[in-house]
Amino acid sequence: MEQVYIIYLIGCVVSLLLYKENKIAAKVGFGLSSIASGYGVFYFFSNLGVTQEFVLPKVFLFNPHFVLDPVGNFFSFVITLIALAASVYGIQYSQEYEKKGSLGVMASLFNLFVVAMLLVVSSANVFWFMIFWELMTIVSYFLICFNDSKTSMKATIIYLGIAHLGGALILSAFLLMSAQSGSMEFSSFTTVSLSPTMATVIFLLAFAGFGSKAGMFPFHVWLPKAHPAAPSNVSALMSGVMIKVALFGIIKFCLWLPLMQWHGLLIIVIGALSALLGVLYALTQHDYKALLAYHSVENIGIILLGLGTGVYGLAINSPTLATVGFLAGMYHILNHATFKGLLFLGAGSVLYRTHTKDMEVLGGLAKKMPYTAFAFLIGSMAITALPPLNGFVSEWVTYQAMIQGAIGEGVSSRVVFTLSVVALALTGALAVMCFVKVYSVIFGGTPRDMKIFEKAKEAPASMVIGMFILVFGCFAFGLGANVVVENIMSVVSTFTNNSYMATAGTAIKSPIGSVVSTQFIAIILAATMALPFIIIVALKANRTEPRKTDPWACGFKYSSRMQMTASPFTGDLRRLMNWLYKSETHLEDQGYFKPVKYETHAKDIWWSYLYEPVIKLISGISDKTAKMQNGNSGLYSAYILGALFLFLGLGSIL
Amino acid sequence: MSTIFWMIFQVVAIALVAPLFDGMARVLRARLQSRQGPPDFFQTYRDIVKSFKRSRTAPKCSHWVFTYGPFLLFSAGAALLAAMPITYSGLETPIGYADIFVIVYIGALLRFFFGVASVDSGNPFAAVGGSREQMLSVFVEPVMIISLLVVMLVAQTSNLVEIQQMVRSGEIGYQIPAFAVASISFLWAMYVESGRNPYDLAEAEQELQEGVLGEYSGSDFGIAHAALILKQFAMIGLFLSIFEPWSFENPILALAIFIIKAGIFYVAAVFIDNFGPRFKLLSGLKSNAIAALSVSAIALVLYIVGA
Repeated sequence: MEQVYIIYLIGCVVSLLLYKENKIAAKVGFGLSSIASGYGVFYFFSNLGVTQEFVLPKVFLFNPHFVLDPVGNFFSFVITLIALAASVYGIQYSQEYEKKGSLGVMASLFNLFVVAMLLVVSSANVFWFMIFWELMTIVSYFLICFNDSKTSMKATIIYLGIAHLGGALILSAFLLMSAQSGSMEFSSFTTVSLSPTMATVIFLLAFAGFGSKAGMFPFHVWLPKAHPAAPSNVSALMSGVMIKVALFGIIKFCLWLPLMQWHGLLIIVIGALSALLGVLYALTQHDYKALLAYHSVENIGIILLGLGTGVYGLAINSPTLATVGFLAGMYHILNHATFKGLLFLGAGSVLYRTHTKDMEVLGGLAKKMPYTAFAFLIGSMAITALPPLNGFVSEWVTYQAMIQGAIGEGVSSRVVFTLSVVALALTGALAVMCFVKVYSVIFGGTPRDMKIFEKAKEAPASMVIGMFILVFGCFAFGLGANVVVENIMSVVSTFTNNSYMATAGTAIKSPIGSVVSTQFIAIILAATMALPFIIIVALKANRTEPRKTDPWACGFKYSSRMQMTASPFTGDLRRLMNWLYKSETHLEDQGYFKPVKYETHAKDIWWSYLYEPVIKLISGISDKTAKMQNGNSGLYSAYILGALFLFLGLGSIL
Repeated sequence: MSTIFWMIFQVVAIALVAPLFDGMARVLRARLQSRQGPPDFFQTYRDIVKSFKRSRTAPKCSHWVFTYGPFLLFSAGAALLAAMPITYSGLETPIGYADIFVIVYIGALLRFFFGVASVDSGNPFAAVGGSREQMLSVFVEPVMIISLLVVMLVAQTSNLVEIQQMVRSGEIGYQIPAFAVASISFLWAMYVESGRNPYDLAEAEQELQEGVLGEYSGSDFGIAHAALILKQFAMIGLFLSIFEPWSFENPILALAIFIIKAGIFYVAAVFIDNFGPRFKLLSGLKSNAIAALSVSAIALVLYIVGA
């Protein structure tokens, strides 16, 4: 495992040294990270079930000890897989930023970002975990800054603010934990005995801290602002894997702490809310990258449903339920990384060729960018959990886990589990609506702005290859579900002591006895796809080449302005759910001969309910306390003296 | 492998017979509306055959999703129908297809291509139809999934074959209050999904359910039309498989019984269909959906408290 890290570090240093040779630096930097990731994918996959460690010499601070257990191996595999696609993609994509900044620095930061995530996963004590955790945040912040603009500045500050709040909560959780165990080493945490109150406090701190980084509701506000602001291959990494690293933290804490039933149920409730609200806000977005970011909130919710079920299973001492819950959560972690990475890369290609994030001016791009369109279609199908692709399998397992939870006795757990199943199903229906909108408005129909359409063409080769790596992943993790499940089970069963077999031949089996086989679904779909061709032959149908016309507009002359755009497609839903969006409508009549201007903007009400009051309060307080900082050096020495006296006094009292 | 054979067999058989019931429904509807209507029950066959002889047009702007849309729709509709354990119920151990979530998500697959093809056509009405179809599913999905969830929880499995056998053997059934109430709300959900008045009207205005058909012509139109009929049969079939599964052991007889039962439902729906105004999506349908949602919620509460 050291080799993987070292290649990334070499990539980091070398590309920095080449900062004067912009183009070469990008090729070398992203090339090296592709090599490292390719090797990492292979390495972590082949060592999935084992535990490895390495210790750095003592010249570093605080006992630099790194351990990769099976869970860590799994997360490292996910990280390197998405990093592979994102770095191959980045080789040519980075040209976009040639004029905005040094590509050497960009490639260097990219390598550092990946290695920071990998080291968070492998750190074995509090000190190094927090160091790499913060490094990960800071480096991603710098990477977002490459897309420098007025709006992205605000986005990044919000991101840093919430990341720091989260970091503080995580650190408090760690410190409480190590105060109880008497050591900073993670290995001491497994045996520590905690009082229920203490366990609950630590759980809540860690859940809120990691959850804020994962982008779960109600800490999700930064995510749709920060992720779209980053360069697209970085967005893919941030949305695909960085938020998963936070889930890794939640899993780790849940394995250390003595758990109670309501811990699991709390995770499930938050998960259901994130899923539903994430997709509802995604539906109203015009900016396709912000839309994808909201879908990350949704999918984090779905993952939390699985993990929450696992935690609940651990709490009630049901190994089977715990296993199937964690299986569902981790399978969806892998899947979400794959298809969300793919969608962000696809969105990056569209942005690269059109230079707009507003989907209302796009359209018909499938003719110009067929490969990107195909990749994006597969990503959309996977994220909406359509069989036989990968998203379907993990959602199926999540459903099975929650149904098993709901079968158990106890009114509160039944209420939570059944309502979460309903929330997940509704999320599924809304996600279909959303991705029909995104795909067809960007890639289908008539172009809405001919200038943009004329200029667009297929993305360069490395970007297409980067996307198709993940397209392959979407198919492989769906059709090869039994292999994936077996591998994840080898990870999960290291901590749940399960007793059930999750696979039966090529099919997957849930503990309650339901069976699903994606290969079989694929066969049936292929067979039924053949039927219409047979009908055509049998009826000797007229299959001459269709005449190309304008779409039928009930006798009027067709104009591309007649066709559907993104916001009316979800207009009924927006009206139905307006209590949630509080959208403002601007209607402007420009006289008889000009089109009416109509704009609506849905708002994320949680921002104004939960965050704005706090921000106003803090800026109010800082305005008042700013008077203390008046630049008078005499006053400053008085502060120092005062503080000194205070601490001396405190010291003598205590 | 014999299961695959029976799956395909039942799809082909139903696909061959379904237009007959559509024809019956059309005759009945015409009589109820005091119109002359089609001369006999075979009008839908003639329509489809005729459409296969015509040449096609396609919008300039469309790409392959639109071009292959009818095939994708047909594939999804037929796959839905294949998932109903009609002929292969007792034949061999479940092979991982006839599962409730598979059915729900293949339904989503159909809706996905329906929506994409309709917007890709560039036709404003087709796109409104696509959007409307998605909205309908937002209303129907919670009701449908709650009802199915109650059934799955009572049966403790999501495998449709097992659920069907449990209902047949009387292990679960209408003696369980939650199951009985769920059947009511599920019937509503199935009725809406099958695209009927007052929620939708398959052969009416362009912006309604079959909006996507507006831009198809010739054999494409025939296939897409057949796909939607298959989907309607599949939706009725899902209700029958869970709530009215009585049938014969012999696969051929079972299929015949199924077709007759589904046909009766299909034709009888005309009576509801005919005597109601059409609802607006955000007023009539919304209030009805809330009523159905409350019924399904009652079923869920009954399960939760253990009745």
